[in-house]
Amino acid sequence: MSKDDSKIDETGSVSRRDFLRKAGTYTAASLSGAAMLLSDPKPAQATQNVTWAEHFQKNYRLMTEEEKQEAIDRLEKRYSEEFGKTVTVDGSPAIDGVLFGYALNIQKCIGCRRCAKACVQENNQSRGPEQEIEWIRVLRLEKGEFDVNDRDNAGYPEGFGVQVGGNAYKPAGVVLEGQHYYTPEQVPEKDAFYMPMQCMQCEKPPCVKVCPVRTTYRDPDGIVVIDYNWCIGCRMCIGACPYWARRFNWGEPNLPNEQMNPVTHYLGNRPRMKGVAEKCTFCIQRTRKGRWTACVEVCPVGARKLGNLLDPESDIRKVLQTKKVFRLRTDLNTYPKFFYFMD
Amino acid sequence: MFKNRIVGSTAAICMLAVFSTPTVYGEANQVGNECFESRDGKTQVTQKEVAPGTLNVRCSPTTGGVLWWGDPFDGTIPMGDMPASVDADYLHEEAVVKPREPEIDRNKLLTVCTVACHNGEYVPVPQSKEPRPLAMHQDIVPDSMKLAHGKGAIWCLDCHSKTNRTKLIDHFDNEISFNQPQKLCGKCHGQVLRRWREGIHGKRIGMWDKGGKKRWWVCTECHNPHDVEQGNRQSGFAQLYPEPAPMLPKGMPNADHERVKHGPGH
Amino acid sequence: MKRFTQFIIDFLRAGFTGGAMFWAWMLFLSFFIVLWGYGEYVQLRDGMIVTNLTDQVSWGLFLASFVFMVGVAAAAVTVVFPAYVYHHHELHKVVVLGEMLAIAAVVMCLLFVTAHMGRPDRLWHIFPVIGIFNWPNAMLTWDVIVLSGYLVLNLLGGFYFLYKKYSDRPLNKPFYLTVVFVAIVWALSIHTVTAFLINTMPARPMWFHSVMPIKFITTAFAAGPALIIIVFMLVRKFTPMKIADEALHMLSQIVTWCLGIALFLTLSEVVTELYPSTEHSFGLQYLMFGHNGLSGLVPFFWTAMALMLGSFLLLLIPRVRRNLAILPFLCIAVFVGIWIEKGMGLMLPGVIPTPIGEFTEYVPSSIELMIVTGVWAIGFFVLTVLIKGAVGVLLGEVRYQEKAAS
Repeated sequence: MSKDDSKIDETGSVSRRDFLRKAGTYTAASLSGAAMLLSDPKPAQATQNVTWAEHFQKNYRLMTEEEKQEAIDRLEKRYSEEFGKTVTVDGSPAIDGVLFGYALNIQKCIGCRRCAKACVQENNQSRGPEQEIEWIRVLRLEKGEFDVNDRDNAGYPEGFGVQVGGNAYKPAGVVLEGQHYYTPEQVPEKDAFYMPMQCMQCEKPPCVKVCPVRTTYRDPDGIVVIDYNWCIGCRMCIGACPYWARRFNWGEPNLPNEQMNPVTHYLGNRPRMKGVAEKCTFCIQRTRKGRWTACVEVCPVGARKLGNLLDPESDIRKVLQTKKVFRLRTDLNTYPKFFYFMD
Repeated sequence: MFKNRIVGSTAAICMLAVFSTPTVYGEANQVGNECFESRDGKTQVTQKEVAPGTLNVRCSPTTGGVLWWGDPFDGTIPMGDMPASVDADYLHEEAVVKPREPEIDRNKLLTVCTVACHNGEYVPVPQSKEPRPLAMHQDIVPDSMKLAHGKGAIWCLDCHSKTNRTKLIDHFDNEISFNQPQKLCGKCHGQVLRRWREGIHGKRIGMWDKGGKKRWWVCTECHNPHDVEQGNRQSGFAQLYPEPAPMLPKGMPNADHERVKHGPGH
Repeated sequence: MKRFTQFIIDFLRAGFTGGAMFWAWMLFLSFFIVLWGYGEYVQLRDGMIVTNLTDQVSWGLFLASFVFMVGVAAAAVTVVFPAYVYHHHELHKVVVLGEMLAIAAVVMCLLFVTAHMGRPDRLWHIFPVIGIFNWPNAMLTWDVIVLSGYLVLNLLGGFYFLYKKYSDRPLNKPFYLTVVFVAIVWALSIHTVTAFLINTMPARPMWFHSVMPIKFITTAFAAGPALIIIVFMLVRKFTPMKIADEALHMLSQIVTWCLGIALFLTLSEVVTELYPSTEHSFGLQYLMFGHNGLSGLVPFFWTAMALMLGSFLLLLIPRVRRNLAILPFLCIAVFVGIWIEKGMGLMLPGVIPTPIGEFTEYVPSSIELMIVTGVWAIGFFVLTVLIKGAVGVLLGEVRYQEKAAS
């Protein structure tokens, strides 16, 4: 699959986009390439067969086309052996003229967390119980309550005391105390609404700025990517991210062979190793092939939208034009490309 | 009475059909397993292999909801004719939908009930659209005099064809397929239809890029047409079982401190 | 060159010579160093999952120890600065011991950072030329520059001085003084940049204020000289080296005033954060009072405050400050107080709550404790050898002899 693509890539973006228009080809081709051998149930040790060549390869961003292909071939070979099935590693560069943007309708979101789980299915994160990694976190926000009996009428307490003000209500929409471990019988709950968070793919990402080895960088299509093979695990990026979007592989990831998604991208969902950071890449292995992300596809209420910000007719641009939108923590000048909107 | 006799005979089939049995989710992700796409019990999909080692969908072992599409276009058909007077992606892209008719007809609702009951003889064609108590279909509409959808402003035959129960109708009594409920719903919800057309209301899967093939979700795949608001929650969606909470961080036995009710002075 | 080799050999020989007490001390340290080796091995084998760090609390004991130790390293300047700028005669005699302490502290810093890295095997990625050095963007690269520069400057300054003394030759004054004065400014820079490393992240409001660098420096210049006083008193006790009381008094004054300023800055921070009590103060509130029953740091914070405030008030009394029987205990109190306040007490509330408001408690794992105590042991091991060697040279016991060399 990836070899076919790279040939197409070399012929230029026009023909590649033609290729993309042949809708569904991606799916069919990638699926046929994935021959699953379920006979080997032992958990994969992602770093057991790392070759010296892989250990001493350059940063992906600086590799020549040949070096990239070599690195990809090495990985395809290693992953295929480790997971007992044909694993493809794609190296597609950003599509010219595309800047990815995302919009999430918080009025629609019912808090079912299917996006978070779909993401794990697609992106080969570590499964529990030792370490469970999810890139999407759904926050539960209370709608608040006003109650005539449950209030404090005093603006100033008697005698010596500090000003406290009234407490006539339970606060609405408190983000900071996000109760994201909620476990109601069913969702949506009457007294709550929900706000999923993930990597905002900032235009000025603080994580990129603080990375001492430039292993994480913004690609031309606006996706902030990580070369997992170059990461030194210093976790500066995790400290700098105001959206708590990054996760760390504290130990060797646990990725059962049969659950592993064999259609991967070098900068995206290829299996990671211990000691490196990871995060949402807008399913780069899908979106650069024209397909929607796993979270967009799974959302049972259609609250998630992704498209090309440079195309005035894309659904993301239509959301920006017709809906009330906001972004998180705009005060930090990170320019997220992840918008929240309401009907 | 005439109605009582129906209950005794044909109704048995219909009753069986519409009483949804609680779904039991066994081992997730094996061929033949059934799970749901968006509305539990109303958007079922059966797992099958679409390529060696790859299933058409991957399902949640805990809730039975579809989590991942191996093939986003599995089981779809072309969207069908849509008015060309207003521009939309589906007019110049390959647009497909999952047909609703087989879903509604899963327990032979459409074929048997229409042939056996609503054939114009067994149940005569109603002469009026006036609301009246229903003896049948109470599983779908519990109290027909208080139809949730429309709050009394509309009733069955504003949407369902009185002569052909396998079809819906537009303002001019032209028949609309159950596969194209958007044509029906757009009769009143013009603004929503417009946003749906633009791709910002509702759901589409497949290829995001311009010209790429898309599977469009139709109205009834997400909303219950007989009760869209879902009571005073007004969410537009029936409640679902949520997926399990994320793992607690190491060293934290619970997140009770997070659930503490916000006291005064927060 | 031959003479220099001989110098190294003689220096190390002096460093590793001692009585039963010395060897018992070194054996004691070696025990923890072996544990460090084991801890590092386990962490390298299994990954950082053997620590109790999480995505919520991703920086912990290692980085807290690092931050504190950078301060100790920088504090060598409290000996060098009065000696060369104010021509403090007594400190001038022992200035090289301060430099030895700085070297040991920087070694510890490097070991803490290595332990903090998820992929220490890829540390070469950060080296310029063979790797990618994201300078001037990444604050961490600035830290690499100033720390390695500081190590080089102290090695250069300290050992140049000792080598000349060893060879009994005059110092090249312009060269030596240049090194010394650059090192003085550099010492400030290492701690300033370490403060910049964490206070330039608005995602972590607890750290995101401009008092941080000066607070780092004042706490460093209180904790550092406190440690130096103790080291000097031990040197006086266990070696023939004479260190005048005057040197200790000078240092204890520095401790007092820097501690006072540090306490003032803490007060400023507390008032600025707690008066408006915005969400940005939740980290500090968690540190001081806990949050909904999560109160792991509360006793530590108040202990640190009691130690710092108590010892400050006592140090203000000249009779107490100049009483060399009491002084070491006050120094220990200052050192421990700042160690808590600026180590875990600074690191953890910075990452608790997370940017999305999650509160998670963190207690270091046994492997983390093993590694950290091991690094301390290595630090003391190196410091002992360096000080013994340096004292030997300063006393003239270790000096170049033509015959020995031939």
